[in-house]
Amino acid sequence: MSDQAVSTEGTALIGGAERRSARSLGALFLPLLAAAALLAPVPLWLGDSRVLMGVALLGLAFACYTIGFNLIFGSTGQLFLCVGALAGIGGYGAVLLADRQGVPLLVSILLATVAAGLVGGLLSWIAVRRSLGVIFTGIITLIFALAFQNLLLGRGDLTGGESGLRIQSGSDSFLGDRILSYYAMLTLVLLFLLVHGLLRRSHFGWGFRALRDDEVAAELTGVNVARYRVIAALVGGAMLGLAGAVYAFSRGRISPSTFAFAQVDVVVLVMLAFGGIGTLLGPILGAIVFTIIDELLVELGQLRLVALGALILVLFLWVPRGIIPSLGSVFRKDH
Amino acid sequence: MIYGLGGALNLAYGQMAVMSAMVVLFAMDAGVPALPAVGLGLLTGALLGLVLDLTIFRPVYRRQGEARVLLSLLLTLGLAFVVDGFLTWRIPFRGLTLNIGGGPIDILGVPMRRGSLLASAITILAFALLFAFFRTTALGRAVRSVIEDEQGARLVGVDPRRMLRLILIMSGFLAAIVAVTRAMVTPVTVTLGFEITVFALIVTVVGGLGSFPGALLAGVILGIVNSIAASYIGTFLSLIILLAAAGITILLRPSGLLGVRE
Repeated sequence: MSDQAVSTEGTALIGGAERRSARSLGALFLPLLAAAALLAPVPLWLGDSRVLMGVALLGLAFACYTIGFNLIFGSTGQLFLCVGALAGIGGYGAVLLADRQGVPLLVSILLATVAAGLVGGLLSWIAVRRSLGVIFTGIITLIFALAFQNLLLGRGDLTGGESGLRIQSGSDSFLGDRILSYYAMLTLVLLFLLVHGLLRRSHFGWGFRALRDDEVAAELTGVNVARYRVIAALVGGAMLGLAGAVYAFSRGRISPSTFAFAQVDVVVLVMLAFGGIGTLLGPILGAIVFTIIDELLVELGQLRLVALGALILVLFLWVPRGIIPSLGSVFRKDH
Repeated sequence: MIYGLGGALNLAYGQMAVMSAMVVLFAMDAGVPALPAVGLGLLTGALLGLVLDLTIFRPVYRRQGEARVLLSLLLTLGLAFVVDGFLTWRIPFRGLTLNIGGGPIDILGVPMRRGSLLASAITILAFALLFAFFRTTALGRAVRSVIEDEQGARLVGVDPRRMLRLILIMSGFLAAIVAVTRAMVTPVTVTLGFEITVFALIVTVVGGLGSFPGALLAGVILGIVNSIAASYIGTFLSLIILLAAAGITILLRPSGLLGVRE
């Protein structure tokens, strides 16, 4: 009976949320400050443990990835399934430049960031030019991600193959220190949130929203859909590359699985969908919650995958729109 | 390989295939002869499709368009994790191999393994039957109408929900066929699910979403590209070439080789 009913909530899963968001600058900075205040003291009680700081760092890296992905997918509806690959371009690019070519650390990070941004923009440009739909964009980028992964494995002479690389450079800089690198990563998270928040408030935000809600109408009213999409992918790709590079240097070693589809994209998708697609704070909430859950599940050993999958199933059967939009509709006051 | 029909993606497709293969494996362990065991496996595949339809695809089909794609993607991803995790936990090193006896047969001077030949024959037969079903029977046409335009199908008296259910059942059945034919060539292990899914995804998209001759053509072309590249260049580059070929095809013809432009 109920499965006969086809509702018209076409955009229920995407967006719908935070339409009232960020009218004043305070509304933008308050959540940022809250996130900073929440995450800044973490090293105080985890700082002694190498393992737990590693987990915290990974969590922040994922927060960065998810914000970047949110900008590309949540804001402009381009399903990029190459988050790991773009981060990998940043990570491997910066490491190879710094270790093999002797490029200074910050310059190599910058170059790798630019490269990842350009690749993201290029993929988006192709998708826009060929007017690929969600599924096709997803598959093209998935193909790109798999090809990149194979390139990493295949060029073992450069990338160290499956076992990966030990990174020499950077260990003597601030990224070699695990507390400082945590704060470097946290700075990135806040910076990305700020950039995304500012973008949403600018005329870009209106463009994004218009094209997400109704692409044709947006186009007709003079919104340059193609330009907005490519710009979002450029900025988002650069974010992913930057986060990947900084994470690589802080961790000290990388392998293809650091940026693999199953290790990055899947997790990012879950984090974002959990937090709420298209919301400003959804990515960071999703990243925190899922990092903690994942760490708790480690004790389950091999059953961890089962538990994670079951969790995903229950979660999306129960709150398909994500936590923030659902909470928003519960406390319909202000959020 | 039916895939992505009805506006939803099934990322647990490979896992359906693997589960069917495991049923065949256990049936054969229990002393069931190979042929009935395979039959049981195919039945399992169809049944899995039905179960999927009755459970996690219910909320999926209640949505439209992009939201439907996304929800199906997330839910089947979760399911794929559960299945993968469970299988690697309980039976990590099992794999299904179906040995077809006899030595290689020469066809036009090229030695072919009997297993591969039988596998190709079964695949082609399955495709022919599917094609006939979709072209000639009223039910097949009804299913196609739902794929093309759900609202329109409803208006002319076709119940989309039942057709979507049929699609999933057939998809499960085909996944089981994929598993069985693959087991004739290489062992189907519990970790193969993701690979099968990705390959099916690429083939479908290259061939054209919802186009059966297209899927067959794409499967054959990509298979040839893969084996040529693998024998002339290294294996790692061959995969990249395969992916590049798929990518270029999609870029040149976004609706697929034989897909219909919207």
